[in-house]
Amino acid sequence: MRNVLDRFKYNGLFVKMFIIMVVSIVAVSITTTWMTINISGRVFMETFSITNSKITTQIRSGMDSFNYSIVLTSNKIAQSGVIKQFLTEGSGDSNSMASSYFQMGQQMNRIRSSVDAYDIGITVTGVNGRRYSTDRSYWPVPDDALGNHPITKRALAEPRKLMYSYDDAETSGIPGIDPTIIASKALVDRSGVVYGMMYFAVREPYFARFYDSNTSLGNDVAILDKRGTIVSSNRNDWLGQCSPELLHDAEAIEENNLDYKNANIMGKDHLLLSEQIVGLDLYMVNVIDKKEVLGQLTDTKQIALVVMAIVIVAVIIVFLISRRMTKSLTRLVKQISTISKYEFDRHVKVDGSYETRQLGLAFNAMMDELNDYVGRLVETQKQQRNAELEALQQQINPHFIYNTLASVKFMVQQGNKEKAAETINALISLLQNAIGNVSEMITVQQELDNMKNYVFINQVRYGERIRVSYFIAPDCLDYRIPKLMIQPFIENAFFHAFNEKSEGYIYIMVAQEGSSLVCEVVDNGDGMNINGGIPKQVSKRQLFSGIGVRNVNDRIKLLFGEEYGVTITSEIREGTRVKIRIPLLKPNNGPNF
Amino acid sequence: MKKLITVLALGAVTAASLSACGSNSDNNTNDTANSGGDKASKITVWAWDPNFNIKAMNLAKDAYATTNPDLTVDVVENAQNDIVQKLNTGMSSGTTKGLPNIVLIEDYRAQSFLQAYPDMFYDLSSVIKSTDFADYKLGPTSVDGKYYGVPFDSGVTGLYVRTDYLEKAGYTMDDLQDITWDQYIEIGKKVKEATGKDWISLDPNDLGIIRMMIQSAGSWYMNEDGKTPNIANNAAMKEAFEVYKNMMDANIVKPNSDWSQYVSYFNTGDVASVPTGNWFTPSITAEASQSGKWAIAPIPKLAKTPNSVHATNLGGSSWYVLNVPGKEAAAEFLKSTLASDSDLYQKLVTDVGAIGTYKPATSGEAYTATNEFFGGQKIVQDFAKWTNEIPSVNYGMNTYAIEDILVVKMQDYLNGKSIDDVLKDAQSQADAQVK
Repeated sequence: MRNVLDRFKYNGLFVKMFIIMVVSIVAVSITTTWMTINISGRVFMETFSITNSKITTQIRSGMDSFNYSIVLTSNKIAQSGVIKQFLTEGSGDSNSMASSYFQMGQQMNRIRSSVDAYDIGITVTGVNGRRYSTDRSYWPVPDDALGNHPITKRALAEPRKLMYSYDDAETSGIPGIDPTIIASKALVDRSGVVYGMMYFAVREPYFARFYDSNTSLGNDVAILDKRGTIVSSNRNDWLGQCSPELLHDAEAIEENNLDYKNANIMGKDHLLLSEQIVGLDLYMVNVIDKKEVLGQLTDTKQIALVVMAIVIVAVIIVFLISRRMTKSLTRLVKQISTISKYEFDRHVKVDGSYETRQLGLAFNAMMDELNDYVGRLVETQKQQRNAELEALQQQINPHFIYNTLASVKFMVQQGNKEKAAETINALISLLQNAIGNVSEMITVQQELDNMKNYVFINQVRYGERIRVSYFIAPDCLDYRIPKLMIQPFIENAFFHAFNEKSEGYIYIMVAQEGSSLVCEVVDNGDGMNINGGIPKQVSKRQLFSGIGVRNVNDRIKLLFGEEYGVTITSEIREGTRVKIRIPLLKPNNGPNF
Repeated sequence: MKKLITVLALGAVTAASLSACGSNSDNNTNDTANSGGDKASKITVWAWDPNFNIKAMNLAKDAYATTNPDLTVDVVENAQNDIVQKLNTGMSSGTTKGLPNIVLIEDYRAQSFLQAYPDMFYDLSSVIKSTDFADYKLGPTSVDGKYYGVPFDSGVTGLYVRTDYLEKAGYTMDDLQDITWDQYIEIGKKVKEATGKDWISLDPNDLGIIRMMIQSAGSWYMNEDGKTPNIANNAAMKEAFEVYKNMMDANIVKPNSDWSQYVSYFNTGDVASVPTGNWFTPSITAEASQSGKWAIAPIPKLAKTPNSVHATNLGGSSWYVLNVPGKEAAAEFLKSTLASDSDLYQKLVTDVGAIGTYKPATSGEAYTATNEFFGGQKIVQDFAKWTNEIPSVNYGMNTYAIEDILVVKMQDYLNGKSIDDVLKDAQSQADAQVK
């Protein structure tokens, strides 16, 4: 979990960028695809409905001429006296009946010629029970069933209207009837009395030829009568079905003068185009299965696959490029963040993209400059400090010299010549060593001589109530130490440790401890309150040089680093212990300031 | 094209010419009459009437399949008008593509095809043994002594009579055994008197009864040559017309306008007798309630025409092999089945009710069986016997064209014109039309 979070922290940029890109790509692709398909579908539907209406016009004219033939024929039948007589007369003798049948046959043969162009079976029936059929096979309804046939009843209800109906074995319950379209009309005489019926039977598949060429997969045609019955269709399973919703849609299209209408039929989206065939009093409805038709136009599946492939490729490319770009950046950031506070000399690795490389170079350059600057600053400060110390060192306190010389004067006056000469010698050698380059390193031996001279002078001046003992490890004598390193502490002990106690000891010890040289100045005087800290500079009067206790510590730290320096431990009335730690410096091998 | 079809259509009396735009939907099924005449794997057969011809052909197909399983026989049903139209269209254009290997053609029309398209038919002289078939069938199926057809069903006629009505008028079937048409009318009058039922039903637009009468006397609408109309000087025709008028005048005729009406008259018992072809049997027996009330007598003969016999023909058709690839296989198929298989003919009788014209088959079991519907009469045997007595005539090429003329002339005659004038008129009209 943590790992994941860490990874996310470092790859945050990449993840964000990548997600945004992917989401954008997918969104754009989906939107474009969807719109393309939609627009092409709409354009197709528009074009389709235009084309279709032209075809529909042709179909309608075909049907109209078909209807016209039937109308003409029906008029001829209605106007024929022979037929009227045949259908109304009572039965006579064989001769007259035969004559009537013959005339009827001849008449019907002539009349039939006006519908010769179509496969139509004409049946006429009369109130006298007679029936004449040009070809019964079209609509083989038995004579006794014809009178009660729904088509007959409907025709009788509206005797002056030629109406088209559908019939098959299922609809009328009479076996052996194939799907057939029947145009029926009553025969009415001038006084309005119905004397017979005529039926024009055309087989449904034959009728379907009017529009069949305009159908295809997903583009079906249904011919509806005014009651919603599908009288003809290229879909056999629709034949004879009653579809009020289709009729409703067709009427809606007609009323509102629509080009087309979208409708949901049988749970599928369909486009409906409807045309009223006025003469036949039928609706021709084109039922277009959008999915099926558009499926042929645009292979949605294939488009989706192609788009998906493109998206995948794009995502992979985006992944690789943004990964490459952000990876180097991320690595740079990671490197920068691991560089700790004072590591100005660390460089970052320069690689990756151009921008990252420039960034890395700039960063490195900045680090270099910073490092350089800091180095120079440190160096300047060091030099400044050194100069300061040097200046201090060179200032041999004039009071020290007066006082010493005053002491020597007293000795001379008292006639103690030897001691005076000894004191003068000590001062001389002390001054000799002390004055000169402050940065000079001297051996422990030389420092020891200086201390002895200093102690001697002090003892001359203040008496011998404070005794000094030296414990110098012989193997340390040749190691080098900064000049006047130990002297200030002895001085300090002389002037401050024995204010209450009248007498005591000062021990000076130098020994090797590991890789360090340790010098200790221990007294058994009054002790101090401060622990570890370094006491304030005392009155300048008694000091030998400008270098005080504090300066020593600073100087050691400046010269050798933080781990070296001065530590002071003290207890009231017990004494003070000063411990100076410096690295072991081989003779003539130390830094020469 | 249209003209041709119209001309052909005129030749049909009951057949409507409406089929000019007839269906072509069967075409693809027939394209398989493949090339390489020696070994066709599939042959196509066209016929009409699924209850009769198609059923019979399927029996032949099954019989053949037991010994020759490799040959696929595709029996396709087409309306007779469609077949006529398609044959005419295909043959006149010279393309045999889409035409079947075997086709059924009505005998009345056969000559019009055989003579108009002599090269389109395959000579079956070596396939059939002419002496095995009824003589009258050989005329229509042959040209110049070459046999092109395998004769199929017999159109032999009989007189179907309601025995119960007959008895009410005081007659028995014995009284109908050897009668003339005049006697037939007399009996009809009595029957109508006794029962009120009409004796016979006729379609004024179809002169089938005239054809039956004149063929019984060995005469036809045309001379022996099959071309010259033979009307004015045709004694048999003259007597037939007179008989026809006598029937009308006797007021024993119930006219009909089509086949369904015709059949229904007998099924309802409105008409008492039917002189017609044996293929009418199923229509009679369809009305099971009339079982035992029917019998079949020999057809009456013409009294004044000396050579008239008690046997004649109405309808009937034969199988032809077209001269298209696969013809050898088709001929072989017919040879092993309808041209030689007596057992198959027994089956045709029992299963289909089709009486063939293959003589050797008549001794079979099915031919001698009794029929309970007809009061135990051995009707098949009777029909087979009469078949052999049918006078052979040449139906020629224009049977239907001349009949169209005669139908009209008959009305003139019925309306009082003298018979000689009527026939003379008809003769001159026919001469002008069929030349």
